[in-house]
Amino acid sequence: MAGDPTYEKMLQECLRSELRLVNAALPASQKPLSGLLCEDYPHVMCTDGSFHLFKRKELEYCAEITSPDEQEALLLPMIIEVGGDRTEAAVVCRGQVEEKVTSTVLNMPVTSERGRIRIYKPQLALLRKTLKTTTQYVFLHESLH
Amino acid sequence: MPQLIKVRPTKTELVKLKRRLSLAERVQKILKDRLTILTMEFLQATRETVAAKQRLVDVLAEAYKALSIATGYHGYIALEKEFMATESDPKVVAGSRNIAGVRIPSFELAGRDDPATGYNLVDTSASLDHASQLFGKCLQAMVELAELQRGLELLGMEINRTKRITNALEYIIIPSLQVTISYLIMKFEERDREEKGRLKRVKMLVGRG
Repeated sequence: MAGDPTYEKMLQECLRSELRLVNAALPASQKPLSGLLCEDYPHVMCTDGSFHLFKRKELEYCAEITSPDEQEALLLPMIIEVGGDRTEAAVVCRGQVEEKVTSTVLNMPVTSERGRIRIYKPQLALLRKTLKTTTQYVFLHESLH
Repeated sequence: MPQLIKVRPTKTELVKLKRRLSLAERVQKILKDRLTILTMEFLQATRETVAAKQRLVDVLAEAYKALSIATGYHGYIALEKEFMATESDPKVVAGSRNIAGVRIPSFELAGRDDPATGYNLVDTSASLDHASQLFGKCLQAMVELAELQRGLELLGMEINRTKRITNALEYIIIPSLQVTISYLIMKFEERDREEKGRLKRVKMLVGRG
């Protein structure tokens, strides 16, 4: 088995496909919360052509904890970066509103550093428990050769 | 004991092997991160599934109790007549969400806030309304449970698959690559030493002659 060129080639391709798989079917775009609240079936299109459906309950929860201006600024799904050199996860934030939402869900103050809110595994579990469809994991890795 | 990969002992092969090793190590790191996330989501889904199942059992028990009270009040035939007119297929909006590369189905019951019951409100009592409301809740709980249970199955399958790949990388692929690389390095060093020895000998012979 090992040493056979066909097997080795297949193995390499298999490993490369694993890298592609982790970030497959990611939402192609983000929509503001205010827009999603107006939709009958709130969703965003994914990169593979499928739909990422939002739970209305979660959207309503987000709307409850944000003001109308913030609803316009809050882009969903919120991106959670995992991997790379860090051991903890990071919520990508463009403004204050992501910070506010994360802080309210986790019930603790959070601060962003270079557009990222760093959170640890227990906090990540709590965030994902509350915002299942309004958050999205993205795995960071170096580009393939 | 890791198996040695059969390769030609050339520098090109060594470079290729080193590249493969770096790819394998990168994949292993990402897969480990992915496994952590999937396990965390799986545990969360398990807790939620247990809670949803319990909720469904409770609501069903309550709903059947309310239905038996309504049946006792109105009579079986009268109720059946009312229900015949109210039969409708529930609308479920189906989509999906992605958890670390696993596509989990997402269901949402549409039109559940619709207050229209369909049956005659004049001929029926509040006990039937109560039973109807409870069965509506049952439907909601069933849809929730269906989503969670399918998600749990998919996550479990993906965890098994990822674990197998991680183990293969950790115990077979990476060690065999490392062993082959070190074997090739040793072989090249040995070749260098032989070459040096040969050169010395040639130098000595030239010096004598």
